[in-house]
Amino acid sequence: MAQLSLRSVLSSGVMALALVAGMAPVVAQAQVLEVGVDASPVGLDPHLITAFPSFQVVSGTIYEGLTAIDKDLRVQPSLAQSWTISPDGKTYVFKLRPGMTFHNGAPVEAADVVASFHRVTSKDIASPLASRLLTMDSVVATDATTVTLTLKEPTAPLLVSIATLAIVPRSFEADKDSLQRNPVGTGPFKFKEWQPNGFIALSKFEHYWRAGAPKLDGVKFNIVPESATRQVGITSGQFSMLANIDPATALQLKGKPNVRLAETLELAYTVIGMNTSKPPFDNAKVREAFNYALDRQEIITAALFGAGVPAGPLSPALKDWAVPTAQFACYKHDPAKAMALLKEAGVTLPVTITMNVLPRQDIKDIAQVAQAELNKAGFKVELKNQEIGAFVQDWKNSNFDTFASANAGSPDPDDYFYRTFRTGGSTNVFKYSNKDVDGLLDSARQMTDMAARKAAYAKVQATLACEGPAAHIAYGQLFSAVRANVTGFDMIANRSLANLADTAVSK
Amino acid sequence: MRKSPLLLFAVAMVALPVLLGLGADWLAPYDPVGQDIVARLRGPMVGHWLGTDQLGRDVLSRILYGSRASLLVSAASVGLALLAGGTLGLLAAYYRGWTERLVMRAMDILFAFPVMLLAIGVVAVLGPGAATAAVAIAVVYTPIFARLLRGPALVICDSDFVAGARAAGATDARILLVHVLPNLAGVMLVQTSLLLSSAILVEASLSFLGLGTQPPNPSLGLMLAEGRNVLMLSPWAALFAGAAILLLAFGLNLLGDALRDRLDPRLRGPG
Amino acid sequence: MTRLVLTRLVDLAFVLLGVSLLVFCMIRLIPGDAVAIMLGANTDVTPEKVAALRSRIGLDQPLLTQYWHWISAALRGDLGTSLWTGRPVGEEIASHIWPTVQLSVLALVIGAGLAVPAGCVMASLRGRAADVAMRLASVAGLTIPSFWLGIVLILVLATLAPSLQMLGYVPFWQDPLDNLARLVLPAVCLSLPILANLSRLVRSALLEALGQDYIRTARAKGLGEWRVLYRHALANAMIPFVTSLGIQTGYLLGGAIVVEQVFAIPGLGQLILGAIGDRNYPLLQAVILLVTSGFVLVNFGVDLLYRLLDPRLRD
Repeated sequence: MAQLSLRSVLSSGVMALALVAGMAPVVAQAQVLEVGVDASPVGLDPHLITAFPSFQVVSGTIYEGLTAIDKDLRVQPSLAQSWTISPDGKTYVFKLRPGMTFHNGAPVEAADVVASFHRVTSKDIASPLASRLLTMDSVVATDATTVTLTLKEPTAPLLVSIATLAIVPRSFEADKDSLQRNPVGTGPFKFKEWQPNGFIALSKFEHYWRAGAPKLDGVKFNIVPESATRQVGITSGQFSMLANIDPATALQLKGKPNVRLAETLELAYTVIGMNTSKPPFDNAKVREAFNYALDRQEIITAALFGAGVPAGPLSPALKDWAVPTAQFACYKHDPAKAMALLKEAGVTLPVTITMNVLPRQDIKDIAQVAQAELNKAGFKVELKNQEIGAFVQDWKNSNFDTFASANAGSPDPDDYFYRTFRTGGSTNVFKYSNKDVDGLLDSARQMTDMAARKAAYAKVQATLACEGPAAHIAYGQLFSAVRANVTGFDMIANRSLANLADTAVSK
Repeated sequence: MRKSPLLLFAVAMVALPVLLGLGADWLAPYDPVGQDIVARLRGPMVGHWLGTDQLGRDVLSRILYGSRASLLVSAASVGLALLAGGTLGLLAAYYRGWTERLVMRAMDILFAFPVMLLAIGVVAVLGPGAATAAVAIAVVYTPIFARLLRGPALVICDSDFVAGARAAGATDARILLVHVLPNLAGVMLVQTSLLLSSAILVEASLSFLGLGTQPPNPSLGLMLAEGRNVLMLSPWAALFAGAAILLLAFGLNLLGDALRDRLDPRLRGPG
Repeated sequence: MTRLVLTRLVDLAFVLLGVSLLVFCMIRLIPGDAVAIMLGANTDVTPEKVAALRSRIGLDQPLLTQYWHWISAALRGDLGTSLWTGRPVGEEIASHIWPTVQLSVLALVIGAGLAVPAGCVMASLRGRAADVAMRLASVAGLTIPSFWLGIVLILVLATLAPSLQMLGYVPFWQDPLDNLARLVLPAVCLSLPILANLSRLVRSALLEALGQDYIRTARAKGLGEWRVLYRHALANAMIPFVTSLGIQTGYLLGGAIVVEQVFAIPGLGQLILGAIGDRNYPLLQAVILLVTSGFVLVNFGVDLLYRLLDPRLRD
């Protein structure tokens, strides 16, 4: 009773204060979706950005590619309404939708597609996406709405990898500065205003090619670094959406009045990588022991609050490709077996190693749980919590024993495996080299027969799971929190917010 | 001398956490890094008197060990700063002239940086960790001691008994150590106590930002940082860690305040 | 006096030079490479690409050359270009500076405004229970971690008044009332240590003044306790008060870094934290140089003012 009255006195006091200070209660704003995000984008040029904070603001909202990825991770037409592939798999002919315009009023034509592809591969622009077009031989505008793309060799994942390759007006081909601040695309929303570290506002693009979209008048991304503050923002109704939040945040918002959680299994995964170029992880038995020592389910329960599944080399979201983890022997938690393998490997116990940790709370938790598990199974792990710059540099220079990190994943197995696990692959920081794996990866990317390709990747997965250089830990459940009056929003496993085109806010 | 209940209270407020921290090995009911996932995010209960954190570790044990870590970092940093800053301040006051000007301008350069900014900068260069955090805080506090001690040291160096000692053939080192230093003890004591208090806060802030003590080691700032992500599930870890920081800093600051009252006769006022 | 001002000016130049060198070196010594971060984690990085980017942003030149380019341009008012956005650094700072300045001024006004009456009350009640209680409170205000307080305040308010819009920043000219409403909470958070510090300062300055002869005389003349406090002692207490204000400006920015983070205010603190994470050298250098120079200049001004105010120090 005493507590109750104290509380009501306090709250009426606060309300009085609020009135005096002129704070108005929330008024639902006319169809502008207020989104709370955790970090500020550093730039908005679709060909230069690499980080999630930038990606989720622009991808599918401001910019679109020839193709698009839907929520089942399958390829759909986007700016290209159709395409044909030659029998040898080397020539793609894309047919553009007629009558589309860019946000600056210029028409969308084949020449813009050609210019965009050239922009991505240009040395001067130095786009990190250039590797997506590594096998491109030439790209030509046959007529105003037809683009012919010729490849040096068949590239199975092409349609997936060009989905997030934005098409920009040809006038920007050699311009590496303008789009960072003033993006111009074809998407349902056009750029309106950016208050650095404050917010980014987009407004409805009236001439969007898809009739009836977008439904919103605008989207405003509010940058709020503190997790607790974001949560208050959505429970108070100041924000209508928190996009792509972690399980811990989601769990805290569960059951809050007027807040609904959307979820999907994430394409991104958490991983502990091992350096195979030096002891002890140059020994496949030690890597296998490492896997036996880990209890993935416990890690998921602890660090992801149970919201996730143990990870094999491919996400179960890739229903056509992934081998179930039950088939991997080393995924059964068995510290005794781990010890035995270490003894077989002839290393001195305990095996002293360091683990570099990506500075993200879920990864820090994963590392701490893994450390406790590994220490019980013959390892002695020292965690090195680094800031992002040092972490990336050590990662890039293979300067680690092990590292705990997260990676974005790809809807196509080749896109991930080839650069990561093939000898000399561009992100093979583990310095892993396995002739069988190399052979399988080389042949699989040229296969057009789906069954054969699937069999090849199944073998690769079986090898990578237990003696590969990366212990895949978990695919997390990805959440977005929305207010109850937000309709039509669906999540996409790659964190794209393209779906905002069909989202509406009811009064 | 009148009895000062405030001073007694302050001494008790400092002694209690210091004893608890130093006794962590015997007092802590659990291993501070031992995880028990099933029993995580519990509120205070029998067994876990202050509840458990997001990995099921005992909050009380982590706070005891964390307090010890905070006190050690704080003591090491202020000790270093006192040594470096005190030496520089004394030398500046004793030798005057260019020595004084150079030393004090160098101190001004360091002093020009906001405390957190300089500390973050030093840690960024040296790499995160409890030891580097201590060094960073020491760098930040060095100019404070130098500036503080130079003033009163100037007065003492000008006094007749120092001139007398010099005339009697005492070496510079002897004069500084035997005649000047003891007369500064009061000022040093007060400032040391106050800075120990704010060092606790800076260390907590650094750990909060991920730049101080590294997980899984227990640290109060780190507990706050980890706990804030689950505040709405279970606020206990963050709440108690914050309270522990407050308590440590509070006691030390109060001690400095009470000592200042005691040692500075001007503040006694009328009555 | 002129001679004194001149020596002080030479010292000031020396300190500013030292500050700029220290800032420059410190940032270069931070491990982790701007280029590595710019190229991102998940990409093809070839040595040529890294080299090309390094030369584009001038990181391949000797350190002294880089320093000279930077400082000479800065003196001409050109602070360089932000690595990521390509915007002039001056523009970036200009777009972040107002929230911080406003927040700091507001915190200073709240802190200093309340400190004078609080200090007077403490001094007049010296030794009594109320004085002790207020001193304990002021010590607590000084030692409460601001990041903790900020989060707790937000959560408490969210529970008590869930429909309050209190996060973020609205420019003053856009909606003055909303602007102030959203800044009150963070400003209170930021002002606590100032209030605690200054009120204790006022208290001890008052007590010191009360012990002196001219006060005794005033008291002997039969003036009331409060009048003695206000008319005579307080005037005397203003000198250390003003000096301390200068030092508080340094504290304000440090505190603002954390408070801005919690309350989602797009100010200099956010800019600095972001620039550290991104290794945005030109931006980071410029902001830190600006902040530290500002602090040095303010204290230089306060020092002169102090000498003007206090006749004993004028020669």
